[in-house]
Amino acid sequence: MSTPGDTLSCGHSLADLSEYLDTGQIGDPGHLAECPECQSGLASLRRLSALGSELLDADTAAAGSGTDDWMKAILGNLRLELRPGRSIPLRADTPGDVLTETEGSISALIRSVADSLPGTAAGKCRLHGDITEPGAPITVGVDLAVVYGHPLEQRAAELRWKLATTLARQTELNITAIDVTITDVLEPRMPDPQETP
Amino acid sequence: MTQPLPPGDRTPEDRTPAPLGAGALAAELPAELQAIVEAVDGVTAVYPARPLWQTIAGAARSAVTGEAPAPVDVATSGAGTAVTTVTVRIGVSGAYPAPDVARAVAAAVRRRLSPHPVSVQVGIVRIGNVQIGTN
Repeated sequence: MSTPGDTLSCGHSLADLSEYLDTGQIGDPGHLAECPECQSGLASLRRLSALGSELLDADTAAAGSGTDDWMKAILGNLRLELRPGRSIPLRADTPGDVLTETEGSISALIRSVADSLPGTAAGKCRLHGDITEPGAPITVGVDLAVVYGHPLEQRAAELRWKLATTLARQTELNITAIDVTITDVLEPRMPDPQETP
Repeated sequence: MTQPLPPGDRTPEDRTPAPLGAGALAAELPAELQAIVEAVDGVTAVYPARPLWQTIAGAARSAVTGEAPAPVDVATSGAGTAVTTVTVRIGVSGAYPAPDVARAVAAAVRRRLSPHPVSVQVGIVRIGNVQIGTN
């Protein structure tokens, strides 16, 4: 799987992580155990590989090669979202304590929820609004690629429900809307007549 | 191994806690706090609390000294009634509400350092996903 060469905040790139998944080799393997961004990146790349396998099973030519526009878009967004981003405050029991979640951790969570649906891959996952201000209205935006044959409206409704449930449990954000946009329908390749006996 | 805070030989009138920033106790405290944080329900990982460049410097120092740096950062500031700031970055399981886990971590650190003045900074940097079924 080819990936953009941009580096994460820790200095590694998605290409490094992709190579690690393919070969098990990386310059400093100890780093992977200490870097949450790399761990989120590896998890996302594994799910993308699984989707690529599904596309190949569906006889879609080279869909998982990383050369397709939809795959490039997903990887480009993934690179952005793997950064820690803004700090989201959490209520502390004791004055003087500072409890936070990183925006990157929530983006990765949103992406993992979207990717867990059958035949889907999250493109852009964004939190719109001032997440650094407790109680501020926040809108979640998710772009979704869906493999042809999977019900689009049902997938979008299912994702919206799962995200609402998950974010209510894992954050203290005031989520006012969850916008799901199907940006790609990944069509299976039409059978080549010359391949038909 | 783990040692309680030394009671000292101060009089009952002297209610100012002894400083944490000196001696073997201070050296062992980060590792002890790491174990305490890891034992909190819902914590799946404790990541290095310091920025990357400081971690690299620490790693280089560790290579020379042979000592592994503890991920939990403990810093004491101020004179007199010094305030200890404990900074920790954690990953949490999706099976637990992340905000509750952060508060539980802060409470566990406070219990260990009581009665010393302390500020606990907990950053959640990774949250596991638990599959939610549709009804």
